[in-house]
Amino acid sequence: MMSSFMTARQLGYLSCSVCHLLCSNCPESGAEERRRCPRCGARLHSRKPDSITRTWALLLAAALFYVPANALPMTTVTALGKAQSDTILSGVIYFIQTGSWPIAVVIFVASVLVPLLKLLILACLLISVQRRSRFRPRDRTRLYLLTEAVGRWSMLDVFVVTILVGMVKLGTLATIEVGPAALFFAAVVVLTMGAAMSFDPRLIWDAGEEIHD
Amino acid sequence: MTESDRSNGGIPDMPVAPVRKRSFHISLLWVVPLVAALIGAWLVVKGIRERGPRITITFKSAEGLEAGKTKVKYKDVDIGTVTAVELGPDLQHVLVKAELVKSAQGLISENTRFWVARARVSATAIYGLGTVFSGAYIDLDPGKPGKPARHFTGLEEPPIVTTGLPGRHFIVESARKESLEVGAPVYFRQIRVGEVVSYRLRDDGRTIEAKVFVHAPYHRFVWKNTRFWDSGGIDLKVDASGVHLYTESLATVLAGGIAFDTIQESPEPLEEAPEDYVFRLFPNREKALEKTYSPDNYFVLLFEGSVRGLSVGAPVEFRGIPVGKVIDIRSEFNLSTNKVKIPVIIATEPERISFVGTAPNRESGKNLFEYLVSQGLRAQLRSGNVLTGQLYVALDLFPNAQPAHVTHGGRYGYAELPTVPSPLEEIGSKLSSLLDKMDRLPLEQIGADLRDTLQGAKRITTSQDLLNTVKSLEAASKEMHLLLKTLRTQTTPEMDAALGQARTSLAAVESLLRSDSPLHSRLIAAAEEFAAASRTLKVLAEALERDPQSVLFGKGQEE
Repeated sequence: MMSSFMTARQLGYLSCSVCHLLCSNCPESGAEERRRCPRCGARLHSRKPDSITRTWALLLAAALFYVPANALPMTTVTALGKAQSDTILSGVIYFIQTGSWPIAVVIFVASVLVPLLKLLILACLLISVQRRSRFRPRDRTRLYLLTEAVGRWSMLDVFVVTILVGMVKLGTLATIEVGPAALFFAAVVVLTMGAAMSFDPRLIWDAGEEIHD
Repeated sequence: MTESDRSNGGIPDMPVAPVRKRSFHISLLWVVPLVAALIGAWLVVKGIRERGPRITITFKSAEGLEAGKTKVKYKDVDIGTVTAVELGPDLQHVLVKAELVKSAQGLISENTRFWVARARVSATAIYGLGTVFSGAYIDLDPGKPGKPARHFTGLEEPPIVTTGLPGRHFIVESARKESLEVGAPVYFRQIRVGEVVSYRLRDDGRTIEAKVFVHAPYHRFVWKNTRFWDSGGIDLKVDASGVHLYTESLATVLAGGIAFDTIQESPEPLEEAPEDYVFRLFPNREKALEKTYSPDNYFVLLFEGSVRGLSVGAPVEFRGIPVGKVIDIRSEFNLSTNKVKIPVIIATEPERISFVGTAPNRESGKNLFEYLVSQGLRAQLRSGNVLTGQLYVALDLFPNAQPAHVTHGGRYGYAELPTVPSPLEEIGSKLSSLLDKMDRLPLEQIGADLRDTLQGAKRITTSQDLLNTVKSLEAASKEMHLLLKTLRTQTTPEMDAALGQARTSLAAVESLLRSDSPLHSRLIAAAEEFAAASRTLKVLAEALERDPQSVLFGKGQEE
């Protein structure tokens, strides 16, 4: 339906992703070969190389880390000699029980929902691209943009824990220690950001064009 | 890739991107999910490998227990966490599910006991103050090794003694509960050395059996003949020597407690009491340290008269020294002879009497009693208190008693000691025989004879003869008086003169015989000369005997 546009690839051009120099694609070279930008020397490719494979790899790693990030304790609070380990979800439940709904929602959205949605969105995008789906490419592109935009905010949780551990050092009264989940959570965030970056949104549109041709 | 022929189509002078060969094709990025998978797998394996036993403990109440927060601790080390607290199927109990660490596997067996450690205050101590801040936790005592188990019934109270505590358990029996509270202290010479662990009524409902734990090293002082007594409360005694107040410690006044001590009764070596050795609990210290009776020294006494005033516990005395007590009083009516016999069972301590010398065939206590009975030992009821009429049993020697002997295997299996009637009974029987004899006396005849005699006497005293005799007696005495008077006035001065002469002649003799008198010294000299002469004569006689011819030839020259 968007077939009235011509793409650079269709016209035989390449755009440098760094200095945005437009140069022509060498006709005799195969897709497997690498080109470099004549101006800045950066690699040139009409689509991100192995985008789908790389995204899958990172996505898979993130999904694997997502499990321990939620199952293991995020923090261990020692208050008055009583140690208590909390996972992300037990923290959310604690805030719900104490009536702090807004905080519970923020933590739940930022730490549980957003990473999960990112994983799901990227998985959906990858599957749809692989199946060369032509279903609502514009919406899918929006989803991708959202994923990329929201990615850095997922680190919120790690930051909060970091600040708490640094601040709450009251000796025997209260101490907060980092749990192993923090590491896995950070890994999930980094890996999903990497996955989002390695995904080439232009692939969403390629399917429609191929059919058109 | 399909559009490659359209290059250089629109824009001229476009620089051509150089092409470089790619070294290899499989993306290195797959290492990332691989590493993630490895880490994930490692976590899973670690989780499974470190997963310890999951146990269920039944409690009556879940006070202070929270799923996911309450810890299971052993020696204050976390070994697990409560995972769920739920109501049991009977809706009466609480099921506490806990997951323990793997290292706790060897700790848990069917003998393991669990309890909730909370702050507790008792009369003697405060426990678990730390749990006020940190909250309750589940404590455990591993107990003896046994079969593995996963379901336990939690204790409502923490056990007093946990496994591995050095010391020894003993069992104390009592007819009443006394101070056998769980946790009540056990004292040895006023040092706290143990606790009462538990108590229960025996199935027969007669005795209470308490388990007592004595800590090391004091358990070595519990011998087989050690006595335990109730030391709870205050022991106040008033007697002739004043007021005595006795208590083990202030805590026992409030919480009760028991004490033990050993009195060495015999020179035999003491034997250490083994685990779970059974002791009797005495009501107080005095009772405990009293002598006990060995069953060998039980006797049955048969009395025929009334035993009114004799009670169980009445003393058995040997000339005022208590040597035993009355254990039981029964009664027996013989239908064929219509006679009543009262068997009284006594326990004696012959050790209280020290025997000097040796008796024939004296080997054991039994033989000793046999010998004593043959020498006249008998039992007798005597009145101990005139006012109350209380009786006691006296053992005494009656050398004139009829011969008797100890009957072995008498009533109730005890040896039978012969008895003699009590003094009162004896007096009664003698009095009646005396009256019988008096009945038989010819009193009237005696009376008539007596009257005749008295009349004769009267006749003599009133006759004229007697008067004359008295008068002539008076005249004789007057004459006698006169004679004595003459004797005094005439004879006495002559006697005095004769005595003076005798004194002077005796003084002369004395001066002659004195040691410094000339006669004395001359006598001594004469005696010495006589001695010398006799010596010479002796020498001469010896010489003659040895050498008779020397009378003729003189002394020999050869020597």
